[in-house]
Order: sequence, then C-alpha cells, then structure tokens
Amino acid sequence: MALIDCKHVSLGYEGRIVASDVTFQVERGDLLCIVGENGSGKSTLMKAILGLKETESGHLHYGDGLTARQIGYLPQQTTAQRDFPASVFEVVLSGCLSSKGRRLFYGKELRRRALDNLNKLDMLPYKNHCYRALSGGQQQRVLLARALCATGTMLLLDEPVSGLDPLATAEFYRLIRRINHEYGITVVMVSHDLHDALDLATHILHMKQSGAFFGTKEDYLQSDVYRVFTGGGSHA
Amino acid sequence: MPEALSFLFSHAFMLRALVVGGLISLCCALLGVSLVLKRFSMIGDGLSHVGFGALAIACAANIAPLYFSIPIVILAAFALLALNEKGRLKGDAAIALISTGALAVGVMVTSMTTGMNVDIYNYMFGSILAMSRSDVALSAVLSVAVIALFFVFYDEIFAVTFDESFAKATGTRVSAYNMLLAALTAVTIVVGMRMMGALLISSLIIFPTVTSMRVCKSFGKVTAMSVAVSLVCFFTGLLVSVRFEAPTGASVVCVNIAVLLVFSLLGFVQSRSEKSRLFRFKKPLCVLLALLLIAALALPLFGPVRSEADDRPQVVATGFAPYDFARQIAGDRADVTMLLKPGEESHTFEPTPQDIDLIQQSDVFVFGGGESDTWADSILQSLDSDKTHVVRMMDCVALEEEQLLDGMQPEADTDEEETEYDEHVWTSVPNAMQISDAVCDALCSADKANEADYRANNEAFQKELSALDAAFRALAEQKKGQSFLVGDRFPFLYFAKEYGFSFYAAFPGCAAETEANPATIGYLIDKAKRENIRTVFRVDLSPGNVAQTIAEGCGAKVETLWSCHVISAEDFENGETYLSLMQRNLRALRNA
Repeated sequence: MALIDCKHVSLGYEGRIVASDVTFQVERGDLLCIVGENGSGKSTLMKAILGLKETESGHLHYGDGLTARQIGYLPQQTTAQRDFPASVFEVVLSGCLSSKGRRLFYGKELRRRALDNLNKLDMLPYKNHCYRALSGGQQQRVLLARALCATGTMLLLDEPVSGLDPLATAEFYRLIRRINHEYGITVVMVSHDLHDALDLATHILHMKQSGAFFGTKEDYLQSDVYRVFTGGGSHA
Repeated sequence: MPEALSFLFSHAFMLRALVVGGLISLCCALLGVSLVLKRFSMIGDGLSHVGFGALAIACAANIAPLYFSIPIVILAAFALLALNEKGRLKGDAAIALISTGALAVGVMVTSMTTGMNVDIYNYMFGSILAMSRSDVALSAVLSVAVIALFFVFYDEIFAVTFDESFAKATGTRVSAYNMLLAALTAVTIVVGMRMMGALLISSLIIFPTVTSMRVCKSFGKVTAMSVAVSLVCFFTGLLVSVRFEAPTGASVVCVNIAVLLVFSLLGFVQSRSEKSRLFRFKKPLCVLLALLLIAALALPLFGPVRSEADDRPQVVATGFAPYDFARQIAGDRADVTMLLKPGEESHTFEPTPQDIDLIQQSDVFVFGGGESDTWADSILQSLDSDKTHVVRMMDCVALEEEQLLDGMQPEADTDEEETEYDEHVWTSVPNAMQISDAVCDALCSADKANEADYRANNEAFQKELSALDAAFRALAEQKKGQSFLVGDRFPFLYFAKEYGFSFYAAFPGCAAETEANPATIGYLIDKAKRENIRTVFRVDLSPGNVAQTIAEGCGAKVETLWSCHVISAEDFENGETYLSLMQRNLRALRNA
C-alpha cells in the first residue's frame, strides 16, 4: 500500500484553483521530486501533504501506517532563524516535540534519538555549537536531523538547497541519497532545479495548472511536459 | 549596608515596589526572549500604548484600572496576532495603527474628562508609589501564573519561536501558543506599566534578551541570562532611583542600557577570541569581567541618600507660600524643607521615596489639601500623629469653590456633584495670616522650648502681612470698575474675592490644559479690545503663550503675576519671599 495516495486533487486558496487533477502515489523507499514553475502549486501541495491545508476536491490518503504528523518536514529557513541563539542540540531536540506527549521535559529516549540523528548526519561534534555560527550547509544538516527526529518513515524537503553554494549542495544531496538508501526513508523534495531533481529522483511530479505529470524519472524524460519545459521544441 | 539599600528595606512601599518590580522583571525577561526572537518586540510597545488608553478610560469611568485594562489589552494582543497572521496588514503597520490609535483615544478621553492629572501622568512615566497592597497580591498571582505557564510550555515555546512552519507540520498548535504568549505579554505589560510607565515598560521586555544574545549561544542560556540581567538591572535601577531621586522606570532603563553596552563589548571580545589564536579569552574570564563591571555600576550607590538632618525640629512644606510662612516663623530655630523644588510643575507633582521619608520623619507638615495634593492622603495615614503636627491650609480658611470666570474655558469633569475647592488659598493676604497662625501653633506644640521665639517671629510677620493687606485694599479702591485679564491659569480666586478685583481669565486655577481653544482666545481678545485693556497677565513659570497670543491680538503688553505656589529657581536663589512676590503683584496691578 502506498504511503501517500493522491487522486484527482485540486488545490487552491481563497477560492482560486492553482492546480487541478493532481494524481500521484508515494511508495515506501521512493525519492520523489516535485518540480514546476513558480505558482504551479508546489507549496500548496506541500501544505496539503502536511495536513495544514484542505484540498478543494479529490482524495489525498495516507497509508501504510503514515499520518500527516509523522512526516519529517524541512521548511525553508527564515531570516530570523539565521540569527537565532540556539544550540544545535536544542534545535534537533525540538524535532521530538510531537513524541513528547504530555511529559514536561524530553526524556532520555528522546535525547538519545536526537543524538543518533545528529550522528547520522555527521553533526555530532557540533552538538553544543551555536546554530547561528554554523555555515549554511551545516545549518541545513541540523534541520535535516531535526526532521529525522520527527519521522522514521518520510521526509518532506522544501527547496532544501536554496542559498547553498555548489559544494554544500553536493554534500547535502549525498546525505539525502544516504538517508534514502541506507536508512530506507522515503523522501519527497520540492525543487526548482530540474537538473538536480533528475539526478536524484526515482519519481518526478511536474506540477501544472491542470494535468500534472507523474511518473518514474525514465517516463518523465520521454514526456511532452519535459520537452516543453526544457524548451526542446514546440508542442508536439 | 549602603544607605540606599537600607532605605529600600525599611519602607513598606519600597518593599512592595521591590517585590512587584522583581516579579514583573522576571516575567518580562522570560516573555521577551520569545518576543524578540519572533520579531514581535514591537507588540510589547504597541500593547503598552493600548494599556495606557485602557487605563485612561478606566480612570474616567471610575472602574478599577487593572480589572478593566487587562481584558482590553489581551483582546488587543489577539487582534495584533490575527492581523499579523492574516497578512492583510504587515505586522509593524498593524502595531503602529493600534498603538497610536489607543494613545489618541486615551488622550481624548483624558482631556474630555479628568484632565491630565497625576494618575494619568503616572501611567505615562510610572510611579513607584502606584503599588497598593491589593495590587501587590494581584501582581504576584499574575506573575506566578506567567512564570509557571512559561516553564510548563518551555519546549513548545522554543519550537514555536524557532520555527513556526516546522512546529505546525509536526502537529503543534502554533496559534494557540502564540495566543498564550500574547496573553501573558498583555498581562505582564498592564501590571508592569504602572510602575515603569507606559512609555518604558516595553524596554523591560526587549533589553534583557538583546543583552543576553550578545554573549549566550543557546536558547536556554539566553533565557536564564535574560532573567539574571533583568533582575540585576531592576534592582540596581531601583537603588539608583532612590539614590538620585530619579523616576524608577527611567533609572531601570538606563541601567539596562549600560549593561547592554558592557555585554556588547564582551560579545565582541568573545567573537574575536574565537577567531584568532593569539587572543585567547576564556568564558569564565568574560563572566568575571561582566560581574566586575556591573559591580562598578553599583558603586555610586554607596553614598548618603539625602544630607543628614540636624537636631532642630523638621518642618516640611509642599509649596512655596507655606514654606515661606514656616521659614518666617521658624527663623533659625527649625529646619524648613520645601517639597516642590523651584521650577517644578506643581499639578503633576508626586513625592519621591525620600520625600515620603522626610514627611514621615517631620515634626510639622504643611500642605494644601487640594486637588494637586491627593497623594498626601495615603501618607497622612502612615504618619505618627504624636510626632508630626499636620497643617492643612485649606482647613485654616473659608473655602471658595473653583469657578468659571467670564470667558474661562471650562474644565470638563465627570463628577458634577463633587464640588471642587480652589486650593490657592494663600493668594489672599488675610488667608496667609490665618495659615501663618496655624503654622505657628503647630511649631509651638512641636517644639515647646522655643515657643516664645516662634510667637515673636509670627507677630512681626503678621504686622508685615497687615501692611500688605492694607496696600491691596487701597489699590482695589483705586482700580474700582477696572478689569484685569489673565491669559493663563487663574490661581488668584481668593485674592480677587477678598479685595473685589474683577478678573477675566483663560483657565481655572488647577486646569491641566494650558492650551486654550481658539474660541476662548478670541473671546478674551474681544473683551480686551472692548474694555481697552492694555496689559495681559501671565502667571510666573507658565509658558505664557496664551497670554502672548491674546496680547498680540489686542495690542497689549504682557506682564507677570506671581502665584507663590512654586517659585522659579532664580527667585529662590535671590531669596525672594511671599511678601516680596506679593509686592511685585501689587506693582504689576497698579501699573495695569
């Protein structure tokens, strides 16, 4: 059974439809990249996946034991965060908030989970460092560790490499691959860089106002959508 | 123990201020971390203005200020949040709209009802004396609630502060916590603004966090350091205010500024030492240095609170007239102190903690008892009646209701039934004579050993007053049928009644506003033209702009009359007395 099953979904806000008839599935272990032009509904779809927004019509189901709350989310950084006085450990630990329940403090188990995830991303030595003193790439890895604390199943990344230099970008993609392959975590990534997406993804969802394309990377490379989008010739 | 410190602990009102202030500082520091980091600092500022507006309305409607303004400010906080989240208005614009709007409403309500009285002035700039016993209880309960909620929801508050989108995605009810923060902030601001003043309370929220962020590297440490900084700054600020007789709110903020500068320097040194290997500077050393610098800040506190009083009987008088009467009668047998410093605004005067101490220690206390002395009531209750002999000037004479003269701009008032008596009783010389007699009696019973001297001094003084009285009566005879125009507040009601002078004036004696409306000015100009008035009077120490405008309008000259309520610093230096100032009035009226 698919983790996410999305059938003929329309998305919009304040009564305006931005994308209609979006259909796709995310299976365990997939690495899905969501691409498309600005305003094609990428971020609206993301909110819908996170359960923060109702769909206008259609069905969006979670399966295989997944709920919206168990998706590890990596949002885009805000300017306020870059200057935030928090230790790396505090940030990562806050990923465990939904597992904390009614307890007053994070227990031992949750603290170990935070340390484990820091370790997975090679950030354990920076545990007590100040978040704002880290490089952009390191900050992104801390936020990734936090996202992992919130999930064992699926990550949702929102333009994770925007603002990173090429070296940090490559390093970040290496980690994504590792998380996907070694730890078997399903990854859904919104990206505006088609080249990187094609490099990384197993599946592509290309958002459009109507009739979004969904398929494996191989199918996508053969599709009209791809050809038009990359400027390879006129409408077939 | 330094004197300022012992002063702090030996007076109930100072202890109350200490407890409430400490709790408020704690709450502000905790909430401030989140507000500053969420870029919500201005919400604190906006809410304090809303608090001012609400307090002004509560004052006008005679509702208990805290119970009225807390719900209003909480609602305003929610409104600000909603405006912010909906994104219809940008946050800063929304805050500016609400805060200036509330301030304007507050000022409108104030000017249409009570006028800019002591209460309102205190809400603007804060008062250490504003804390009554019930306020302390309420403040304590609210503060404990704020602190408890902060600790219970600490992790949630961190998550929501650091990253709203992530917290929302993992199922944290972000808007609920935002509302909690906003409500806690609103409560803290309303409780704290009476001590710190509406204009300064938000600094308690912002300064400690910004200061801590200079050196601390984690949220937990910033929070802890903010609390420490806030408490230290409040305590030091309170001591500074006691030592230098400065308003508490401003003192606390100034200490905060100093500490921020020190911490900025430390932060700079810290970041340099991390970058360069040559320049090793360890953290414990930084902390030590910070403590030393803070200790240096506290050094000026070790000094006398006020010059030591001598063994002579102590007489404390509020304004210049009673001060001068007591001075004339006491000679050098007693030590006479005037509370209203030369040049100070009398109608918004409020005693400093030292003043209260002085009154409590005094043998004779002379005060007016009118509208601008309402602060004295609470002090009188705490007086030891065996020790302090109280002279209330308005009890010594027949009172006149404050009344509107022809053309006078009425002072809007809520309470129509309550008669307001004019408090400038000493402007009539016979009243001055009666008051002097009362002061003399009080001095004699306080210091029986020197009774003969006091009686003799008083007799001599009474003679001079009689001569002055006769001179005014002669002048009144001579000026019969002539009207005088005072383009100012009119403190001469008793004077005019006593001698039968006819006056036009712009405002009643205690009117708060001295901005005349155009109708009043126009009316007075017409009057002056019709009656061919050549002199427009202003009252000493007033800005005199109304008198100036009227004088220009009717081609007259501006002359000064002296109310003897407060004296200018220059006149005080030159040793002017009630008699000499009244002589000036005599000359000025004669020449008009």
